[in-house]
Formats: sequence, C-alpha cells, structure tokens
Amino acid sequence: MNLEELEAQITLLEDIQAITDLQRMYGYYFDTHNWRKIIDLFSENTESIEIVDHGLFYGKEGVRKVYWDIIACGGENRFPPWVEFVITQIGSVVTVNPDGKTAQARFQTWLCESKQYGAYPRQEWLHGYYENKYVKEDGKWLFSKLHWNNTFCSPFDAGWLKLPLMGWMPVPGADAPPTCFHPYPARYRVPYTFKHPITGKE
Amino acid sequence: MATLEELEARLQRLNDIREIERLQKIYGYYCDYFEFDKVVDLFSDNAESVEVADHGVYKGKEGVRRFYIDLLQGGEGKEPRFGLLSINFQLQGVITVDPGGRTAKGRWYGFMVEAKPTLSLHEGDLRALWGNGIYENEYIRENGKWMFKKLHFFLNFRTPFEDGWLKTPVVGHNGPDPVVRPDAPPTIWSPYPSAYKFQPHFKHPITGEE
Repeated sequence: MNLEELEAQITLLEDIQAITDLQRMYGYYFDTHNWRKIIDLFSENTESIEIVDHGLFYGKEGVRKVYWDIIACGGENRFPPWVEFVITQIGSVVTVNPDGKTAQARFQTWLCESKQYGAYPRQEWLHGYYENKYVKEDGKWLFSKLHWNNTFCSPFDAGWLKLPLMGWMPVPGADAPPTCFHPYPARYRVPYTFKHPITGKE
Repeated sequence: MATLEELEARLQRLNDIREIERLQKIYGYYCDYFEFDKVVDLFSDNAESVEVADHGVYKGKEGVRRFYIDLLQGGEGKEPRFGLLSINFQLQGVITVDPGGRTAKGRWYGFMVEAKPTLSLHEGDLRALWGNGIYENEYIRENGKWMFKKLHFFLNFRTPFEDGWLKTPVVGHNGPDPVVRPDAPPTIWSPYPSAYKFQPHFKHPITGEE
C-alpha cells in the first residue's frame, strides 16, 4: 500500500462516518423541531423527497414544501408543547460509490410520537425503512434523495397487529403520487441498495 | 511516526470492524423479510453452529441451512404466512478482532417487534409481540470477506404486546423441534426472570480482566 492508497482508504472511512452522522443529525434535528436546519442538510440539486403517502416532491423546493409547509405547518413553534417526535436513526448500511462523490444507505427508524389527530392528542408507535441517496459537494455530504417507507403507524395501546395504520393521507401540492406505499400487512419489501456482502448478488 | 505497514495494519482493523458491523446489520434486514436463502449465504461453508433461544444447536453449514430454511422458513421456497412480521433491530455492536485478523467476536442487542403465532412456529393465531435478547457471535474472514462462523442468540423475553415482560416473560417457545431436530440441546435457556447473566466475550477495556 502506498500513501495514495492509504489516503483513499481513510477518505472512504471518513465518508461513511460523515454520512452516518448526517443521517443521525437529521433525526436529532427532527426531534428538536429544527426544520430550517433539516432543509439545509439537503443539496440544492436534490432529486426528490418522499415520506409515507404524502407523495413525491421534486428538488430543493420539494424539500421546503415537505418540512416547512407540511410538517412544520408553515412556521417555527406551531406545535403545542406535548407534540413529540422521537425518531431514532438506526441500522446504518452505507455504500459509497467508486466515484467517491455519491452514496446510498439503508437505515430504519423506531418512533415514539405524540401528535394531533383532529382535536385529539394521540400517542403512537411507528416503524419504517429509509433508502436514501447522498452527494458530496465542496467536501461535505448532503442528502440528494430521501425516501422513508412506513411499515406501520399504530396507536400506543392497540399495536401494529390490531391497527396497523392511522392518520395518514395524501397532502395537496405533491409533484407525483407516492411511488410505493404498502404498509403492514402488505408483503411489500423495500428494495435494498446494497449487494449481498458474500455472493455479491443484487 | 508509524511506518506505512503499521498504518496499513491499523486501517485493516478499522475496516474489519466496519465490515463485520455491516454484515450483522444486513443479517437483520434479511431476517426482517424472511429471506433465509440470503441469510444462509452470510455463513461460512465452515460454519460451526447456530443456536437461537430454545431451538437447540444446529451444527455445520448443513445445520445452518436446516435451521433457517427447514425450520424458520418451513421449507425451501415457502412464503411467509399473511401478516407475519418480524422486525429485528441489530443494536450496539462491540466487535473484537482476534490477533492475526482472521477471526472475530461480536456482541449485539437484538430487539424485535413482531406479529407471530405462538402455538408453534407456524401455527396458531398471530399475536403482536415484543422481543429482546443478546447475540454473542463469531466471525471468520475468508477470501477477503467477513462471514458468520457461529451465531448464538440468547433470548431475554418474547412477550405479548398487551402484557409486557413482567407479566408474561415468554410466549411462543416450545422447545427443540421434534421434526427438524437440532444436533444438540440448547446450551443455555434461561430467559427473564431467571437472573442468568449472558456474559460478554470481551475483556475489560481498562483492567484486561475476562
């Protein structure tokens, strides 16, 4: 191994760490309602963003629509104090492409939430998988595509078997319908972006 | 200042840990989707054994195949029954690469969110379940790739969603299968509240104590 190869290897390790940190910071910003900071985690050349069945939103403008207009309800501090998202970011499998400028990763989240349903506060369990894309611009990793595929969104007391899904609905203003929204108990499998580590098969 | 060779060796160790962690997390994702063919391919052809909860010890690569395909999947090509759910979080890995860099050990938490039958592995009404336990696994590096050499999952609890671990610590565990028989009985079967401590493989990082 020469110095150039050593540098390339260290860069790869740093890239994987930076992407993992980016994804975890996204979760912590979500927990703390830092919607502006979340928007700044995305590249100006963002491809798309898709969360549950809200639909597909294109570009950085789509990112603003999802986090600012929809989730933040159009401003900072629009929630009553009891509204809470605990959105854990776990199970990172990061794949940096040979170009060293793009990457993809699978993560999953386990959520404990309390949200408003009409006039009523509800607490719920949620699970879902991310398959995201990232881009390195000026030495920094950013999101270039985010897709969170929801497995279930269940009331705290009923659970996923009795009541797999509640409360979602398409929102106005999406650029395209959801590409895939097939929550439990559908047998849908969110495709992996990684290859089998031993056989190399897709 | 370290030499290039020394740096390369240190880098190799970091890469080993990263690849083993990746392997374990991918194991979890394949299990989530009941893709047991892919799971079997994560094991070395020289695999020692697999042991999960009270199912007993399945030895060798053939044992690995019998455990995942014949027992858990219910046979080659069999699709999971409607509504079957098993989300297997693989959390908090501590990896120890042995001197020489050819074998390694890893400890992980497993946390499960499930909808499964409890009468037997494949029969009975589905129930929503919480599960928790600990892995102590061994890995081997062959042809530049890390694979499972040995997998052992110690179950702490598997409890109905509505009850919780204090009220009903374990459901759905009915001992070794009488048809797809293990090669040996469970080495440990002591779920909550047995007070059994499933000891870590690693040495104390400060004192070096076992």
